[in-house]
Amino acid sequence: MVDPLTTRLWGFRLLYVGLVALFVFLRLLPFGAHADSLPGPDFALALTFAWLMRRPEYVPAPLIVAVFLVLDLLFHQAPGLWTALVLLGTEFLRARQATTREIAFALEFGLVAGVLAAMCAMNHLILSLLFVERPPFGLYLLQAAFTLLVYPVVVLISALALNIRRATVEELALRGERA
Amino acid sequence: MARDRSAQTDYASPIRRILIGAMLLFCIAILLLWRIDSPRVDRFRAAVVDQVVPSFEWAAAPVRRTARMAEDFQSYQRIWEQNQELKRELQRMQVWKEAAVQLEEQNAKLLALNNVRLDPKLTSVSGVVIADSGSPFRQSVLINVGAQDGIRDGWAVMDGLGLVGRISGLGAQTARVLLLTDTASRIPITIQPSGQRAILSGDNSAAPLVDFVENDDLVRPGDQVFSSGDGGVFPAGQLIGALVRGRDGRLRVRLSADYERLEFLRVLRSHEAEVIEDVGSLIVPPQPEPQGPVQPAPEALSVAPVVPTLRPEARTVPAIPVSEESSDG
Repeated sequence: MVDPLTTRLWGFRLLYVGLVALFVFLRLLPFGAHADSLPGPDFALALTFAWLMRRPEYVPAPLIVAVFLVLDLLFHQAPGLWTALVLLGTEFLRARQATTREIAFALEFGLVAGVLAAMCAMNHLILSLLFVERPPFGLYLLQAAFTLLVYPVVVLISALALNIRRATVEELALRGERA
Repeated sequence: MARDRSAQTDYASPIRRILIGAMLLFCIAILLLWRIDSPRVDRFRAAVVDQVVPSFEWAAAPVRRTARMAEDFQSYQRIWEQNQELKRELQRMQVWKEAAVQLEEQNAKLLALNNVRLDPKLTSVSGVVIADSGSPFRQSVLINVGAQDGIRDGWAVMDGLGLVGRISGLGAQTARVLLLTDTASRIPITIQPSGQRAILSGDNSAAPLVDFVENDDLVRPGDQVFSSGDGGVFPAGQLIGALVRGRDGRLRVRLSADYERLEFLRVLRSHEAEVIEDVGSLIVPPQPEPQGPVQPAPEALSVAPVVPTLRPEARTVPAIPVSEESSDG
């Protein structure tokens, strides 16, 4: 007999992987980015952050690492670098879970923006330290800005369609009891 | 109850921290490995792509087809304008056709005069684009031919109009084509008619940059740009595009290949350029037997570096028998 809460948990983890796979599929379709076109938002990252701020147990660190490593490989980025930065960023946010549980959305948005900007800067810095060919920093910032723009949308859709909201105090107490 | 929970987290958090640290180290290790031994990691990447992307194919085909249909439908809407446009274009093309026929005749005559043997081995394998690079910072496409079809790394890729890029990353059934617009792309080029050599380097914009032009005064916007074949990796004389002056005042190339819709690509089967390994032996006229302890003549030493440079040249151009004769005579 499987605990319904566990089923729900793994269901959402699977759903996370599925949504990221859908994003990859759309990005790989061969009529996307040309040179000169603006970089689109990174949906996978927005989704990860949105779920992390609400239900951190749906996006455990090993899952994030696995997913982003595959993305690094598929999208021909420097393998491991972006994954490591995403892991650092998400762990930073996860560690502040207790304090961010009750903050307003504007504050959360600011926090996510800060983390994202720091990740972009680190990415560029490390790439230049390793002498890797890289596009101008402005493009990265532009992509980060687009990602931030879709972030509220992802949050809204997750809340409305999938009912992913912040855990209430009662729910936390209940979970504590079960544990 | 509350005590239980705190006790549990107390045990869990150090283990968790170690786990996170280990994963972080793992990622950094992969990054460093990639930086140190790029080909191995890129082979692994190609294998992953080879596994993943064709499995998307069944889903991608209908989506692509629908998008093409929508595109076609849009073009039906302005069919009259298109018709007018085509008529005008046809008139212009008539003029060009005349010019082309004349040039062809002239070219044939000149070729006959020179007795040039064109490379008959330059054949091609065609493939269909199945996926983008996915990242806006990487200009590459994936095609559905790979090592199984005899494709090799480094081969040139064209669409019907001009050079598109080169093979960079090879799976069994797929191959990645690094486009000329990618920041990692560097191609030796010749600018005609001045014959200036330069390097075409992509910078993630639609028109790649022309670097290292020997003499800027000899080239002007509108000149044709061809691959030069320097370095022996790339076939020479493939059309790349036309020179333009960018908004920043630097020379760029407007590519002739239709980058907006890369669908069918031709991979040019180029053969390894012959490499001359030995430096060439000394060719000296038969010397009279030295009588007594005479030092070797110093002029023999000064001749030595000149002779071997002549030898390889004579060996690299066996296709033009005329030149060999002339060099002898």
